[in-house]
Amino acid sequence: MNVDIGNAVRKNEEAETSEERIVLETKDLNFYYTPEVKTLKNINISIPEKKVTAFIGPSGCGKSTLLRCFNRMNDLIPGVKLEGKIEIDGQDIYSPEVNLEDLRKKVGMVFQKSNPFPMDIWENVAFGPKVNGVTDKVELEELVVSSLKQADLWREVKDRLKTSALDLSGGQQQRLCIARALANKPEIILMDEPASALDPISTNKIEETIEELRANYTIIIVTHNMQQAARVSDYTAFLMTGDLVEFNSTSTLFTNPDEKLTEDYITGRFG
Amino acid sequence: MKRILSFWKRGDSFILITAGGLLFSIFMVVLIVGIIMVKGLGFFWPSDIELFQLKNGERFLGQVWDTEQARLTDKNGKVRIVNQTNIKIGNRDIYGRDFVWINNDDIVKKSTPKNGVEFERWEYGNMYGFIKSFTPVSSKDRINKDNFFSEAQKSLKKALALKSQIEEKQNAINKLLTPLSKLQTEISLSEINKTRSKAEIENLRKQEEGIKNSISAKLELLQSELLKLKEENAGIKMTIVTADGKSVTLPLYKFVRFFRPNQMSVMEKAGFYLTKVWEFLTEDPRESNTEGGVFPAIFGTVLMVILMSIAVVPFGVLAALYLNEYAKQGFIVRMIRLAIANLAGVPSIVFGIFGLGFFVYILGGTIDRLFFSSTLPEPTFGTGGILWASLTLALLTLPVVVVATEEGILAVPKANKEGSLALGSTKWQMIRKIVLPNAMPGILTGVILAISRGAGEVAPLMITGVVKLAPSLPLDGTFPFIHLERKFMHLGFHIYDVGFQSPNVEAALPMVYTTALLLIVIVVALNLLAIYMRNNLKKKYKTSTF
Repeated sequence: MNVDIGNAVRKNEEAETSEERIVLETKDLNFYYTPEVKTLKNINISIPEKKVTAFIGPSGCGKSTLLRCFNRMNDLIPGVKLEGKIEIDGQDIYSPEVNLEDLRKKVGMVFQKSNPFPMDIWENVAFGPKVNGVTDKVELEELVVSSLKQADLWREVKDRLKTSALDLSGGQQQRLCIARALANKPEIILMDEPASALDPISTNKIEETIEELRANYTIIIVTHNMQQAARVSDYTAFLMTGDLVEFNSTSTLFTNPDEKLTEDYITGRFG
Repeated sequence: MKRILSFWKRGDSFILITAGGLLFSIFMVVLIVGIIMVKGLGFFWPSDIELFQLKNGERFLGQVWDTEQARLTDKNGKVRIVNQTNIKIGNRDIYGRDFVWINNDDIVKKSTPKNGVEFERWEYGNMYGFIKSFTPVSSKDRINKDNFFSEAQKSLKKALALKSQIEEKQNAINKLLTPLSKLQTEISLSEINKTRSKAEIENLRKQEEGIKNSISAKLELLQSELLKLKEENAGIKMTIVTADGKSVTLPLYKFVRFFRPNQMSVMEKAGFYLTKVWEFLTEDPRESNTEGGVFPAIFGTVLMVILMSIAVVPFGVLAALYLNEYAKQGFIVRMIRLAIANLAGVPSIVFGIFGLGFFVYILGGTIDRLFFSSTLPEPTFGTGGILWASLTLALLTLPVVVVATEEGILAVPKANKEGSLALGSTKWQMIRKIVLPNAMPGILTGVILAISRGAGEVAPLMITGVVKLAPSLPLDGTFPFIHLERKFMHLGFHIYDVGFQSPNVEAALPMVYTTALLLIVIVVALNLLAIYMRNNLKKKYKTSTF
């Protein structure tokens, strides 16, 4: 297992050296589902632009919660409370002048369980642009095609764009959801365990897709699969019981972690 | 002991019990539909006419209606059981009754005379007898034994053609007089209500004179033509001999048709049956609803259900959407849900009274004061009508639609809703594009239930607009084509009216079954339509299996 991770990490070593711009930053972030339950504790993290950042940690550590703070999906849950700041491009996304729809257009999301709409494939991909006001048919068509190509789905579905998205296989459905998020031309893509419900071959496909997207998008991926984090990410954050234990470049975190807790977790001593 | 315990544990007995419950339910449904079908479908079949000769010399001609065992007590107090037969003898204007019970022991001779004729009349019910003579259409000597009956039919045709000509003339006269009578009502109303000055009334009177003069020549001509036609038609007569030898002469236009069931083959009877069914579905009722068709009632029922659906679906769906998507879930929402569910249990007559008080008197009264003040005190909307009845039923079926729609909305996967929001849609866009289409099957289930409930409801309608006999349909060729203020007929009320309010219940009873069957068929048809739509939608929006 350790050998595997070592190999995967070496692949990404080049990425660390280049100059980086911070696109997303949290400042003293606290999050409560109920007044008694503090799910995130004092999180300070800076996500670099056009890199893949992975959140790892045991179940219930708050990694998904943190991810859903970035596009304010947690707003849907009644009774939640958030303290601190989350800035994207220097703008606090929780300030009142921020338009929620614009934020979610800028910060796309792919869910754990693929959730294609009960419509045809074309309509699924065009959904985001349409609700955000794109009406030009040519532009829509271009967006749909390029998004499907980027999500590596175009070859498989180009002849059946008008068939129901629900007839696709599980892996294809998940890549369709990625294409759907891409159609909005987001800056940041949040992925909440995107491959956890898929078989190894489909998982591999998703990882290849992420590989192709990393050049143009900032990707934040939550995963409970440490090999996956090691394979796809440039940076990795390790969370535990609501605390950000360590945030480091992936190679450092997996080979030479600063914290004892991280080492225990990645070597499988708990979790 | 152990074995008994394991028997209960395995639950084998519950298979039997649940199956028994289902069987019982099916049995009850089949029983009620079966009775209605058997009794209702036979109504139009032309059964044979039989001639009964009794010991005391009485003779009856008619159709066997019913048989029964009766216990009779004679002078010595001895009880004997006799079989009795109920015969429909018709000829109400002669005998004063339609039916007669006879003891089977008293029958001397029973036969089915080939020449027995059943006459259907516009009034006074059926007649049974033999044709003696009639006014022929062609010359008298051309009639012989073979073409006697068919020539009689020709005379009937002529008489009925004249009858419709007379009606046309009458309509033409009425049309000619309409402007005059309108003006006259206006004059008398303005005199009563003092809405016009004397000079204005004088002016109107002059107009009235003018109209009178302008139409008088035409009116006279029409009236003389009408008189001539009436005289001609009264001259076409038929003499009928009844079973006991009495001769009756009647003008032929009083008959709808006459036929000899004893000479008809099965195929002819089947054809006759279909004609009668068609007449039942398409014609107006006669004889205080015990004869003729039920078309206005079918029309009223269907139109009312459609209006009700148009009213109830938007409100029900909007209410359910607010409750589920916008309202903050908590105590108040729970209370509202409970109240809506309980609304479904309120007796329908209470809704009827509310409809009468709120829709008819308050809303209708206000509309009348604002827009129809010229015709007051004669109400336009301030009295029962199809609009108010539909709205009352919409209120009655609202809980059904709300609950079913809520279930439909709850069934929309949360993942899809989140997916939509995550793509930057507003909440309303999410509702319109994701929630509503996916909840459509649920909404249609609500519509199906509402239709079933609404179409069968009678009590609230009786006080909000249903009548025994509506003079005109709520939809016709005169502007504005749909007359929502009009009273209407309804199959459910028709059943009640014919079955319990009719002057001749015995004769009308089969009509009750037939009408009930028709109502069931209509409800099933409306439901099948909605189910078909729902299944199509379900196919389109099948939820993700992954």
